[in-house]
Amino acid sequence: MSGSLVIVVSYLLLAVFIAAFVVRTVRMAKQPVHLRWELSPVPHEKGKGSYGGSYLEEFEWWTKPREKSLPAELIYMFLEIVFLKSLWEHNRRLWWFSFPLHFGLYLLIVMAAVLLVSTLLGLVGVPVSDYAWLREGVLAFAALGYLLGGFGAIGLLASRLSDSRLKGFTSAATLLNLALLLAMFASGGFAIVASDYFAGMLSDLTALFTAGQSTAPFDVVTVHLGFVFLFLAYLPFSQMMHFVAKYFTYHNVRWDDAPLVPGSRLERKIQRLLNQPVTWSASHLKTDGKKNWVDLATEDVPTKETPK
Amino acid sequence: MNKRSRVEDIGRRGDELLASVGPEDLGPLPPPYDKPEDRPAWKEMNDKAKDRVVCNLDGVVALSLPKPKDAAEEEEYVEKFLSGLKKLLEPQNNWTFLEPLLLSLEYCVKCQTCNDACPVFAASGGKDIYRPTYRSEVWRRLVYKYVKPHGKRFARFIHGDIDLNWTTITRLYELCYRCTLCRRCAQACPIGVDNGLITHELRKLFSQELGWAPKELHEKGTMLQLEVGSSTGMNPAVVKDNLEFIDEDMTELTGIDVKTPWDKENAEVLLIHNAGEVLAWPENPGAFAIILNAAGINWTLSSDEIGYDGVNYGLFYDDFQLARIALKHVQTAKKLKVKKIIMGECGHQHKAMMTISDRILTGDMSIPRESCLTLLEKIVFSGKIKFDPSKNDFPVTLHDPCNIVRNLGIVEPQRRILRYLCPQFREMEPHGVDNYCCGGGSGLAVMSGNNFADWRVSLGGQVKFKQILDAFADQPGPDVKKYVCAPCSNCKGQIRDILQYYKALDKSGITYGGLVELIVNAMVDVKEPFIHWEMH
Repeated sequence: MSGSLVIVVSYLLLAVFIAAFVVRTVRMAKQPVHLRWELSPVPHEKGKGSYGGSYLEEFEWWTKPREKSLPAELIYMFLEIVFLKSLWEHNRRLWWFSFPLHFGLYLLIVMAAVLLVSTLLGLVGVPVSDYAWLREGVLAFAALGYLLGGFGAIGLLASRLSDSRLKGFTSAATLLNLALLLAMFASGGFAIVASDYFAGMLSDLTALFTAGQSTAPFDVVTVHLGFVFLFLAYLPFSQMMHFVAKYFTYHNVRWDDAPLVPGSRLERKIQRLLNQPVTWSASHLKTDGKKNWVDLATEDVPTKETPK
Repeated sequence: MNKRSRVEDIGRRGDELLASVGPEDLGPLPPPYDKPEDRPAWKEMNDKAKDRVVCNLDGVVALSLPKPKDAAEEEEYVEKFLSGLKKLLEPQNNWTFLEPLLLSLEYCVKCQTCNDACPVFAASGGKDIYRPTYRSEVWRRLVYKYVKPHGKRFARFIHGDIDLNWTTITRLYELCYRCTLCRRCAQACPIGVDNGLITHELRKLFSQELGWAPKELHEKGTMLQLEVGSSTGMNPAVVKDNLEFIDEDMTELTGIDVKTPWDKENAEVLLIHNAGEVLAWPENPGAFAIILNAAGINWTLSSDEIGYDGVNYGLFYDDFQLARIALKHVQTAKKLKVKKIIMGECGHQHKAMMTISDRILTGDMSIPRESCLTLLEKIVFSGKIKFDPSKNDFPVTLHDPCNIVRNLGIVEPQRRILRYLCPQFREMEPHGVDNYCCGGGSGLAVMSGNNFADWRVSLGGQVKFKQILDAFADQPGPDVKKYVCAPCSNCKGQIRDILQYYKALDKSGITYGGLVELIVNAMVDVKEPFIHWEMH
């Protein structure tokens, strides 16, 4: 395969990843403010988060300063992100596969960051390919990452196909997600076994950074990178964006316990939403395409109306 | 009947039940409730009723939806459903819950982690249709196939197949009332997906677009409340009369002059009870009056229509009905120029007024709102009332209403009171924010049509009843009287029904009541026992 074609396809896949990732994340962040729907425990509640308490436990809570604990929230997030704590507590059977898959990905992300920095340093003349400790470290992270990730992906695939609880809810998209992950882990593992992984990665990444001005052989490392870029391009279109969504489900929903303060920015946002026309058509609402939320909430209600 | 029900089955074979359920499916209870033959049989739907109303889900009918006249009427409702499905996803029509709804639509990884957290699913012996994910997945597939672009062509390959027809929407409607919206499933979800919210939104779709809602919540609930002032049907004159009788009874019972103040302007506290207390548990508003008067609180009730009934069933099925009632509550408080509104012992009133309505009470509609539990804690530990905890020296356990505890995070005030006033207080397991719902949440406690009460009490209440029995396992016999404290009207109604269903007062000596009754029972100035060991 022509080296320049590989470069162009790689750029395209990366561009799709970045654009789609940004669009989908911004779309999540731009949703209108909603009514409060918090759910205990809310870890930032200082001194209360551990048992699920909130500021509403205080007598005349509105007269007291809100006390929040950032460390408590960060600890909660760390345990949840790194160790999948809630899965450990509520679905141990799945955790044994899901945790290795996620932890393997984390190791590979770290390894990828190290490789990117190494490539950049190489481009400015630092002899990174001569550093044995760097090579050994990258290989260790990569091998462990591929091994854990592959184990997790196979375990989850097997669970999806055999566990009666999961089978009826497993769609083709879910299987495709796992298959792509498995292809990525397997090709990476094969690249470690069958080639000089560290040198191959540096050479391929250098070719990418220099827009193909440097040469890189088309080998198993290149194939592996192909799977990685394909996975990245697909990621923003899949449920695997749940790692971004999770930020919003926790911070914007479960933990969003901010009370409305008169005159605040939040209040102004709400007032704009309240003034939008509403078109629900049940007879007890009597919408006409012009009435807004406030109109409907404050008008006299037709009584004696009997829905089914 | 095959126990396994696939998601796509919801739209198929509309003349058959999707699944069947009965007392034989329920898990074991400890003695003396361990004999299956001691469990009352469930009422069967007779043929006449089956001819009249839709009965195609699980053999239980909560909603009495009339069968359609003809295919055209079926089609009309299917079209309306589709229209509502779209409106649920529009910022203009559903900004109130759009962000959490879209997150739950798009990012569920279908790991089924939430299943075991659901007391209904657990009690049913694992019926597929009661998985928290089942109705969510039905909705998700409908959205992907019928709302998203090119859905009819590709969605079944990517997300799984489903058919939208009369059978689908009627089964889904009934299925929305097999969930208590306790949100225990949401708590367990690693992603933060909320199947309780999805149920809530589907109920809204049916109400706000099709005009379908349970009679008990809509016609005899919010509409009656908006019309006469209370979902109990009591108008202002009747409620004042009833409270006058309660004052007299309380005075006679306690020897303390009990007087409930009405419509006092500039009072510190406007107390709003769930008006159901006045009719079903008059000792509860009576106990509140005794405590607030003894503590010297400047308080009042309102006789404005709606201002004396904290019930707000709109919370469970319709955003606009919720807002209409919440606004009336605030208008009442503004008119009386009170300092704050105090929620009575009613869980959904707490949630409706303190958090859900918070962001629609803009501008001058903003007024402080507080739980009675924090006020009661302040009073109990203020030293203004003398207590003798030995008067409460019997086993007491606490039920945590989901709407107060899991949803609002009010966990400790009620416990501090019970630890102080009840020497034999013991927790249920699990408790606090991990509690189990009573089985009557989200309005189910007031729904008893057809054979639904059997389902609600027997299946819905199974896990809670086992928790109660386990909490008193050290003294199981009827000779030791025991008290389940449930500071919520709807929970009390459900727990009453459970205890009556199993004859638990006779067999185990268990009764139930609110928190204020225990407080008054421990007051030194109250000479006679305030708590009576009877089923009421």
